[in-house]
Amino acid sequence: MYKAIFYKEWIKTKYYFILSTLLSWCFVGYSLLRINRVVEIKGAGHLWQVMLERNVIFIDFLTYLPLIIGMLFALVQFIPEMQQKRLKLTLHLPFPQFRIISVMLLFGLTSLFIIFSTNLIILSCFLGNLLAKELLFHVLLSAMPWYLAGITVYILAAWICLEPTWKRRILNALVAAGIIRIFFLSPTPEAYNRILPVFIVYTVLILLFPMLSVYRFKTGEQD
Amino acid sequence: MIRASKILLFFTVIVLLSWLLPWTYDFVTSRPPKYPFTLYSGVIHDFAILEVQDKSSIRKDLSGNIYTESEFDSILPLFYYRQLISDERFPSQINGVDVTPKTAQIQNFIFRHTPGDINITKPALFPLLETMSGRVDLQMPDDVFRAVNSIEFINSESNRIEKEKSTQYYDILQKKGVCFPIRLISGNPTTRKDYDEGYFLIDDSYQLYHLKQTKGRPYVRKIEYPEDIKIKNIFVTEFKGKKFHAFLVDERGQLYVLETKTYNLKPIPISPFYPEKESLSIIGNAFDWTIQITNESGNRLYAIDADNYKLLKKMEYPVIVPTIQKSAKYIFPFQISFTSPLDNYVFPRLETISLWVLILNVLLVITYSLIRRRNPSQCWSETLCILIFGIYGFITFLLFGSKKDNFFS
Repeated sequence: MYKAIFYKEWIKTKYYFILSTLLSWCFVGYSLLRINRVVEIKGAGHLWQVMLERNVIFIDFLTYLPLIIGMLFALVQFIPEMQQKRLKLTLHLPFPQFRIISVMLLFGLTSLFIIFSTNLIILSCFLGNLLAKELLFHVLLSAMPWYLAGITVYILAAWICLEPTWKRRILNALVAAGIIRIFFLSPTPEAYNRILPVFIVYTVLILLFPMLSVYRFKTGEQD
Repeated sequence: MIRASKILLFFTVIVLLSWLLPWTYDFVTSRPPKYPFTLYSGVIHDFAILEVQDKSSIRKDLSGNIYTESEFDSILPLFYYRQLISDERFPSQINGVDVTPKTAQIQNFIFRHTPGDINITKPALFPLLETMSGRVDLQMPDDVFRAVNSIEFINSESNRIEKEKSTQYYDILQKKGVCFPIRLISGNPTTRKDYDEGYFLIDDSYQLYHLKQTKGRPYVRKIEYPEDIKIKNIFVTEFKGKKFHAFLVDERGQLYVLETKTYNLKPIPISPFYPEKESLSIIGNAFDWTIQITNESGNRLYAIDADNYKLLKKMEYPVIVPTIQKSAKYIFPFQISFTSPLDNYVFPRLETISLWVLILNVLLVITYSLIRRRNPSQCWSETLCILIFGIYGFITFLLFGSKKDNFFS
């Protein structure tokens, strides 16, 4: 059954997955090209100097990319379920309903993990050759909240999509907006170091939210 | 699982409301405190105050004497020296001491510190500039150093460690008695200054060292100071006057100045200053300094003699909180903020827990039971939550609860 659900999700999202992977690589590549341009024109020393003196990380271009990818992934995966009333059918399969949703979410999270980790690997490989480890960690730790926001928004968007009533969807969307806002409160590099472990734990915990929507869907909640 | 989801949703909404509602209230009601521009005048031996009220400026001193704009320039001759030169009114003597415009140009300095300057995470890499290059303009070196358990120079072009230079510096630091790891490294790693004095280090045993590069060779000097002082912050100045190297602050909040020629650490007789929480500005000239320390409860000003660092005069501006802002304690049981004007970090901070809010909370419990048409004892968990979380719990249950069931059921 797990394999079947995974396959179903793959058929639904494969084009978006390939497109978002390629697009994210393009964005990462563009950011790295900009860095490379600075290095070619003014030398790596200038890059280090600017990073140390002005506390910049040169990859701000990627700030909202994981957020957009994560949100669209959830929409592509869950809107057809709701629009074509497939969720009702899915939940009637001879398999525990929460486990079905968990497997669907696991598919989405795995896909996002693949996209985001390839981004971070490309960044690490390129910048690792160019920058001292302190500067490399500075860049990666600064980018970490953006990628965690991408994972969080995916779960929250799934929660909103699976919700059966519009009134509650709007309320859920407001809560989701509030949560996501926290990830982008400060543009200062490494501002989130202290809260990153909390973000990780919270992101795991909010996997419970889509279950609440499924429960409400199943019990036919009207308000 | 569903109950756990509901509890998590409840606490999520509570956190969001306790962040956003007080923030909105604060945004609408609060006015940032405005302190008049105040500077010690060595001419009148009093604080000179420039206050802007309804777009008009009032110039006065602490005793209440009012000055015209031109008189005000004259009582602060070293601050307004350009205006006085232009008016051909620059004095030849101040308090019997000969002065020239050059005195003002060289000896004047402005030092500013805000808590955000140090409450920030930056990569611990430091470029060591050449202090005696023989050139007028400073140049950034090709390498930077890290100094935690040893000192290592890394070439920024090749991203490789310069072993020879690293060993040379490590050996001299060892020879001078530096105990690794280094606790604090402070300097101004920029070329936008008149000269470079390298870095000041605090080692593991709280000893203070001066490290710089002179004609390609390392210069390390141990700075002696009383053992009971533990330096916590160093602010390297590198002012034109070259009278002192840095301002330092110890663990008790005592401010010191480190003199250039003697490397003597001289305490400044002001009340404790905490760089993590308070802003500091020092406007100095050849005769006196005006030190201004600002925190959330007000603005403290000290006039210090520039020669012997004795306290000349002090005053204070307390912060005035508007009444409407004070009433927040009757509405919000607590506040959560994720950012602070004092630092650059994002993490939740619980602020202002108020018990006054219990009056409103009881009213909210009654209102909620009337809206839901339920006896408070029938929905005890919701009642208890509203009593504790007040307006946040009330709004959460109104928005996410249902008429039929208890929120947590």
